[in-house]
Amino acid sequence: MLFDTTQLALERAIEGAGKRHEALAANLANANTPGYQRVDVDFHGALTAAIDDRQALDSLAFAPARDASAGAVRADGSTVDVDSESAKLAANALEHQAAVQVAHARIGILKAAMGTGV
Amino acid sequence: MSLFGGLEISASALTAERVRMDVVAENLANAQTTRGADGQPYRRKEVVLQERAGSFGASLSAAMNKGSNGGGVEVAGVVEDQTPMKRVYDPGHPDADAEGYVSMPNVDTVTEMVDLIGAQRAYEANVTAMQSAKQMFARTLELLR
Repeated sequence: MLFDTTQLALERAIEGAGKRHEALAANLANANTPGYQRVDVDFHGALTAAIDDRQALDSLAFAPARDASAGAVRADGSTVDVDSESAKLAANALEHQAAVQVAHARIGILKAAMGTGV
Repeated sequence: MSLFGGLEISASALTAERVRMDVVAENLANAQTTRGADGQPYRRKEVVLQERAGSFGASLSAAMNKGSNGGGVEVAGVVEDQTPMKRVYDPGHPDADAEGYVSMPNVDTVTEMVDLIGAQRAYEANVTAMQSAKQMFARTLELLR
């Protein structure tokens, strides 16, 4: 195998962060929708459960779910707090960047080992 | 599918918030209009937003069991505010009734300005989300270098 489970996990983390970005963007898009329930993607939990298992990592699906634990922050029942969504969005983008950089570095190591240079 | 979903979702919000700003502008422009299209004083308009049920792409990915976040937000409709008109005593006004009162539109300029700021800030938040999505795509493409 060219790529180990760590590389696979990194790839799935990049995908998961992409899905989570969609969920958080949908929350921001619906910031003024009455009664809207915020959605989130728990890709950390899904990855932790599947880590070191190639089969589980391969079949991992990052499904968005309604966040039932979030309390209403507005009189119309909406559970979207724009500040907290923005903060989550920024943190998620950084996590995505971190995963991409580590994956890139590992590919660089493979390239060096193959003698093509970095 | 995931690649441009985030951009589409944010774009739908930009459209919706722009409609809100347009409606606020219309309300402000007609704050003193005593003769609307139906001959009655202008009634304040309000935008109702709803979660978009999802585009074809979202339905497809849901069908493929990949999960879907829906398709962002859409304008469900523009409704008229049914609060009573303001009654202003101005006997010289051509639209004054027998007692000298004129029915002025139920537009409160301060409320409209607050709505405008809200729509503007929401617009900015979605532009930031869009920029963030763009950067994430660009970084993922760097894996190829």
